[in-house]
Amino acid sequence: MEYSNPHIPEGINTSKEHPLKEFLLLTVGVFGTLAIVLFVLALIADKIAHYLPYSIEQDSQMFVMGSSDSNKPIVKYLQGLADKISQSQNLPEEMKITVHYSDDDTVNAYATLGGNVIFFKGLLENLPNENALSMVMAHEIAHIKHRHPIRSLGSGVVVGLVVSIISSSIGDDIVAQFIGTTGSVTSFKFSREHETEADSTAIDSVKALYGHLNGADDLFLIFKELDGDSLTPEFLSTHPATDSRLTHIQQLKTTSDKTQITPLPEGFAAWLENLNNDHTEGGKQPENLIH
Amino acid sequence: MVDLIVFLTLLALGYFFGRLAESRHYRSIIRREKALARIPAIASKIPSPDLHPQQTVLVTGSVVISVDYFKRFLAGLRNLVGGRLKSYESLVDRARREAILRMKDQARIKGASLVFNVKLETSSISQGRRENSIGSVEVLAYGTAFIN
Repeated sequence: MEYSNPHIPEGINTSKEHPLKEFLLLTVGVFGTLAIVLFVLALIADKIAHYLPYSIEQDSQMFVMGSSDSNKPIVKYLQGLADKISQSQNLPEEMKITVHYSDDDTVNAYATLGGNVIFFKGLLENLPNENALSMVMAHEIAHIKHRHPIRSLGSGVVVGLVVSIISSSIGDDIVAQFIGTTGSVTSFKFSREHETEADSTAIDSVKALYGHLNGADDLFLIFKELDGDSLTPEFLSTHPATDSRLTHIQQLKTTSDKTQITPLPEGFAAWLENLNNDHTEGGKQPENLIH
Repeated sequence: MVDLIVFLTLLALGYFFGRLAESRHYRSIIRREKALARIPAIASKIPSPDLHPQQTVLVTGSVVISVDYFKRFLAGLRNLVGGRLKSYESLVDRARREAILRMKDQARIKGASLVFNVKLETSSISQGRRENSIGSVEVLAYGTAFIN
């Protein structure tokens, strides 16, 4: 008896299809579906959170840090500015803005639940005039006005929950990581919309307050200078690109007469230094920051 | 952002090096299969009665092949939706054929003309579910070489 192994043609036990084709189909299919589902859920959460009465967050001290002691000149001054801008934005009676000042080098300011707005020394010492400061303040107050903190929290919790349920049940770390990124991209989309809405309200109120927008754009010029050219694409950022925010405000500027700019009060720089040892630790900063 | 760059880099590395290794391996497999075709590997347990080998010897061939990042990612996605795990099919195909070739090579060194009662065993080598766990497949081929 003769034994032999005949030649067997290739491609029976394997697929001849190009692996990139499968890759494209699977990634677009899986992450596209996931992104749509997350987007719809986040949208629902965002809308529901908008209808929650303000009273439920009124006394919240979540994510609050720094001092709100009005005996301190910096707090007093910022609070005065906040009250003026709240008025020009027609904030409802119960939405009381409380300004906090933190003696920290972070170049940032943020608005959080309960009408709390936190300013960091790092940002304030970089602001060249009151107009730029008002732009920040108006932006943060606009976040409160549009209920952005509770809306971000609502959609953030929903997206986070769904992402963690899915990623913990699939048991594949690489895919889980990618699902996390899809969740972030969805949340960032909402965050950017909130920022744009806050910018637009802020521009209106700064214009109403000063009659012009001179100096208000200095804020974005500072960001540009501090950040350099950011390489992060917009869909991976919590904020719209600084350039487009800058262009937007500059397009609305009617004049660029520098004499109209309101300087910061005398002694402002000294006030910034005058606060120490009163850090109220509020934990980690939340995501919805001005910058 | 950094995470995404790292991920895409790993994916691209996995794809290019994985593809390169696979096509080189297949070329080598096809070439050696032709060269070793004169030593057939037979799955049958009972040899023909007219075979009278002077000696029989156990020959084995084993191979461990690792999955690349790209294949693992594809398989991870495939796990969600089901269907043929195409990215792993070529991997185990290579491993099976390589194991048989190594077994035949042992037989050739022994001067055998035939390998009888060939069996294949597969096991996966992995270390838990950690992100950097090793994902690889081992295939062992063994049989009885007939030496005349």
